[in-house]
Amino acid sequence: MIFAGIDIGSTITKVVIKQEEEIRAIIIQPTGAEHRRLAHEVIKKALNNADVTFDQIDFIVATGYGRINVPFADAQVSEITCHMRGVSWLFPNVRTVIDIGGQDCKGIKVVNGKIRNFIMNDKCAAGTGRFLEVISETLGLKLEDIGEISLRSNDPAGISKTCTIFAEQEILLRLSEGVSIEDILAGLHKALAGRIYSMVGKIKIEKDVVITGGGAKNIGLCKYLEKRIGFSMLTPPEPLITGALGASIIAQEMVTKAGEEKLAHIKKERKLEAVTFFDEAD
Amino acid sequence: MTVIKGLARAEQIYQDREKRAKELKAEGKKIAGYLCCYPPLEIMTSLGYMPIRIMGEMDEPLTEADTYLPTVMCAFYRSVLDVAMKGRYDYLDAFIGAHACDGAERVSYVWRSYLKSPCSFYLDIPHTNHAAAIEFFKKQLFYLKEELEKTAGKKATAAMIKEAVTLHNKQRSLVRQLYELNKQDPPLVSGSEMLQVMIAIMCIPPEEGNVLLEEVIEEVKGRAEGPKKKKGRILIWGSLIDNIAFTKLIEDCGLNIVIDDTAIGTRSFWIDVDETEDPFDGLAIRYLDKIVCPRTFRDTKNTRMEDLDNRFSYLKKMIKDWNVNGVYMNIIRNCDIHGYEISEVRDYFEEMGLPVLVIEQDYSTTALEPLRTRFQAFAESIN
Repeated sequence: MIFAGIDIGSTITKVVIKQEEEIRAIIIQPTGAEHRRLAHEVIKKALNNADVTFDQIDFIVATGYGRINVPFADAQVSEITCHMRGVSWLFPNVRTVIDIGGQDCKGIKVVNGKIRNFIMNDKCAAGTGRFLEVISETLGLKLEDIGEISLRSNDPAGISKTCTIFAEQEILLRLSEGVSIEDILAGLHKALAGRIYSMVGKIKIEKDVVITGGGAKNIGLCKYLEKRIGFSMLTPPEPLITGALGASIIAQEMVTKAGEEKLAHIKKERKLEAVTFFDEAD
Repeated sequence: MTVIKGLARAEQIYQDREKRAKELKAEGKKIAGYLCCYPPLEIMTSLGYMPIRIMGEMDEPLTEADTYLPTVMCAFYRSVLDVAMKGRYDYLDAFIGAHACDGAERVSYVWRSYLKSPCSFYLDIPHTNHAAAIEFFKKQLFYLKEELEKTAGKKATAAMIKEAVTLHNKQRSLVRQLYELNKQDPPLVSGSEMLQVMIAIMCIPPEEGNVLLEEVIEEVKGRAEGPKKKKGRILIWGSLIDNIAFTKLIEDCGLNIVIDDTAIGTRSFWIDVDETEDPFDGLAIRYLDKIVCPRTFRDTKNTRMEDLDNRFSYLKKMIKDWNVNGVYMNIIRNCDIHGYEISEVRDYFEEMGLPVLVIEQDYSTTALEPLRTRFQAFAESIN
């Protein structure tokens, strides 16, 4: 049987097509402002890559901020549950998931493959991928390079502010004082790691810790976070897709529960089309 | 003409909370607005005042209050002053402020300086439940009576207050009966309906409130179209929720709210006033000692577990009796008294094996939607 998990995040949309225990296709692309019209396009692309047709998919689960805009999804599940399931599938001994997304940051406590507790910041860009984006823009560097550059520092600059806007001002101040870019970046990553650590610390960080989301791709952030935690973290081969992967795993589970008759009905009713909004009717 | 009654009537009052008070005022009745669950309603009722609970407005952006109050103050009390500054409570004949918490204290003083209700009283409530504190509080209640007597044009005798105690105790008993109906699964009353009923009875005279409660109990007892069965049967702990947009969001996510420990809910009604010979004894003990809100400090016990049990065993009973399988702890941003208590109460719930969700919310309907993911994930974690 074939399952699809689609995770429409605030910044990046991810799709996983899974057949039994094998991942058939992965799609990762920017979400963009028009994401409400994106879901059916992105799934078409994923189907193409996986070499399956829409009708062959047995169950589709949507997650992420945009989950309500996937009209052909058979179920919607919160990204917290999906991340936890995806990570648990990859790392059965996981106890703590730290997910650093584009515009939020989550900590999930896992006990025996179930959510024990979770914490989430989505009110403020501090502690999220957005912080790193703003910083790289301010310094005129590429987002993917700043973690690496920060590792070259031997003397991280003191950055006292974790508010994205004020941190930006502080960078300019440090630059004017002649502090090197490596040291500034090291200071920023350290400050960000401190912010994430104190938030996730509220649910007690325990081994194994798995880091996911775009933040997991930043080597500087991971280094400073590990320093604060006191031991190393595990990183999935592709840290962006754990939510979509978890959604596809939940899809598999839901199929088993649904039964054949209900499933046939679901498949018959399901249509691959864009979201329609009644205020746009012509 | 059909008479609107029961839940429909509660919804109508909830939608237009000051309507009944204004109608009665036009007929010559005096209206007393009060803060929090600490000013004794019996004193107002006995002197012919209709008590109305002063609330904020989650739908209204704060535009006036921040000139008078610091933004580190809880969003609820800033909203209370904001809507008051915009004239919502201009019709009140009496305002009864209270030192329930520092937010309420500050609002009371600002209110007295700027809003000029014909009668304005500040109820000084001690923060402990020692015998001396209860004695002090009793004196304050006496001052409240004297102050209200000036504008009421009559004196409250012990007999009049005792009569009001009986009336309000009846209301408490009816509220408990209504909550009883949520012990079954699915519950007979949704959290949003319950909130509408609680707000409604705080905005109409107690006699009318009692009729309303009787109607609602009768109506829901025989209903077929009640709340659907859901995986989560949750208790809400916290200061208060006064807008059904919030309870609806929770209920949309697969959770039934079956019981609460909040100030617009059981906390205001759970415990009766003892019918003591001097009614002020019963009132002082009930309102200061028997209402359990973290604003009152209680003596610590020998061990932490004993201490938690001493303060929160009533919650353990609620959890058991209402068959609760999850707890939502509702903190309005900058509510220090509830905020400080989170770790203690959360540990207590978690030791009972219950999943707990804590959210510090902004007391604004426009800030609700991002909370959906949290409630959904919480519901998914209850199995």
